[in-house]
Amino acid sequence: MAESASGTLVLERVNTPPAQTWNHLRANDITLTVPVVSRKGDVYFALPRLFESIECGMGGAVTDWIESQASDARYVEVRAGEKREEPIIAESDTGIMVRAGAEATIVVCAPTGGPAQGTTAALVRIIAERGAQVHVLEFVCGDTEQHLESVGIVAGEDARVDVRQFFLGAGTTAAGLAVALDGNRARLDLSCRYLARDNDVLDINHVIRQRGRNTRCDVHESGVLDGHARKALRATIDLVHGSSGSEGAELENVLVLSDDVTNKTMPVILCDEDDVAGNHGASIGSVAPEQIQYLQDRGLTLEEAEQLYVRALFDEALICAPTSETRKAVLARATEILGSETASDLVEGLDLAEKSGPFATTEV
Amino acid sequence: MHDTLLRVSGINAGTEDKPILHDIDLAVGAGETHVLMGPNGAGKSTLGRVIMGDPAYQVNSGTIEFGGEDITDEAADKRSLAGIFLSYQAPVEVPGVPLYSYLRTITQKRPELKMTARKFRARVGEIADQLDMSGSFLTRELNVGFSGGEKKKIEMLQLLLLRPKLAILDETDSGLDVDALSVVSRGIEAYRADCGGALLVITHNTRILERLSVDRTHVMVQGRLVAEGPASLIDDIDAHGFEQFERANASGGDRA
Repeated sequence: MAESASGTLVLERVNTPPAQTWNHLRANDITLTVPVVSRKGDVYFALPRLFESIECGMGGAVTDWIESQASDARYVEVRAGEKREEPIIAESDTGIMVRAGAEATIVVCAPTGGPAQGTTAALVRIIAERGAQVHVLEFVCGDTEQHLESVGIVAGEDARVDVRQFFLGAGTTAAGLAVALDGNRARLDLSCRYLARDNDVLDINHVIRQRGRNTRCDVHESGVLDGHARKALRATIDLVHGSSGSEGAELENVLVLSDDVTNKTMPVILCDEDDVAGNHGASIGSVAPEQIQYLQDRGLTLEEAEQLYVRALFDEALICAPTSETRKAVLARATEILGSETASDLVEGLDLAEKSGPFATTEV
Repeated sequence: MHDTLLRVSGINAGTEDKPILHDIDLAVGAGETHVLMGPNGAGKSTLGRVIMGDPAYQVNSGTIEFGGEDITDEAADKRSLAGIFLSYQAPVEVPGVPLYSYLRTITQKRPELKMTARKFRARVGEIADQLDMSGSFLTRELNVGFSGGEKKKIEMLQLLLLRPKLAILDETDSGLDVDALSVVSRGIEAYRADCGGALLVITHNTRILERLSVDRTHVMVQGRLVAEGPASLIDDIDAHGFEQFERANASGGDRA
């Protein structure tokens, strides 16, 4: 969703975690000013009411705002047992029902290209029924002033959900993901890779509610911060009463390349059950001296060694990008940051240039 | 001796508070294979790192020349690009960097090795086959979660990819089982055959030397090179250990 503003709305203290810390730390939330366009008289297709109860990562205020601003909502259903090959492209307000035993890939790609845009947003709600397999890929690579992305997923018994997030865009990115592992043995694997540089603001909220028995979640966030970037990550694993036998693990690795970076990490494990395990770990700092030395011993300067970490982010994003549009978005951002020669090399290396479609003609 | 490729002259070096190497003189000719042996803690690895330019060690006096150029004050990346390769005894884990991105970046840094990505992938595939490595390694993070043997194979992969003029192998054989040692030995042979580069093999185990034609053997004790000889010196060490050299060094020290 990208709109020209006829008015503005202040979304105060959104993207909040279930349990908060001292306010003076300024880590609990983010306040955003967003445009508001009147939709009076528009015919609007709403999602089935089932989706209304899904918790989304950025919270109710953001959900209400996106619903009020989206020109339409889109409902997609993957039939029971179906293995859908073609990815589902989720746009501003999308609800996806993946029926029992079905498999689907869902792609959320923030708008990119053209002159810098104002505000863009995406609201995606997903229901994964019993035994369903859902692969979610999120790409934020654009040059919008601010992008809001709120995702909510409910996983039933034996459902498997994997989410790969790539937050590589400029400006302000606020992203929230809430996953409810409601069914017994439901599983989440979440990988979040990010890059924030210059004056970028990145605000991430991950909330995993483990309600079913013997559920598993494995969360790994890692990224690179440079320039005057400000980043906050709130990651909550909530082992709810009744989730016996469940295990949740969260790990973040932050690479800081500048003294002017602001990094806030707020990991929380909530536990209301005896027979569960929750783990958290974090490493925050610059590249370790022995790693730098190893890379220098192979011919890289300090600056090149640090850039290697950034290149690696784009390499991975390109490997994961399933559609020509997402590849174009990643590549455009890679060109901006790494230069056209390296970006071209990324494409060539992945053999993407041979693929058909618009990507083949992308200038790099 | 062939044209001298590496010449270490009168090197005294160590950490900030501890001298480790004393009056080291060493010359390695182009294409030659030298072996540096010695007991644990003798300073062998330190010499390798000093030649590579590790800033953790200070060179207090002496010079290092490579290819006729004085590189004593050059940074490690410059020495690497000049053609020196140090294979780590314990390769460093680098989370966040997939092996493919890393290999591609270090290869593209070398004008003589620049190639299209397609050729690069083919070349990496060939080497991986030579070393019995799975292609899936390429998408994994550099050295992260690899076994000791796999890490050494990755070192050999880089050796064969970068084709240096001089490879310093710092106890590449340590911690390897028989199969892994065989694969690594094949990698070293391939380097000698394909690249014709010189080798400085740091070891206190003779197994890795069985397939190599050694030109010179050096023995280091307590930071000093106390003996030098032909390949037969290795057999002597294998049979009698380092005690004779330690005794000789101790009596030399007493005399001093």
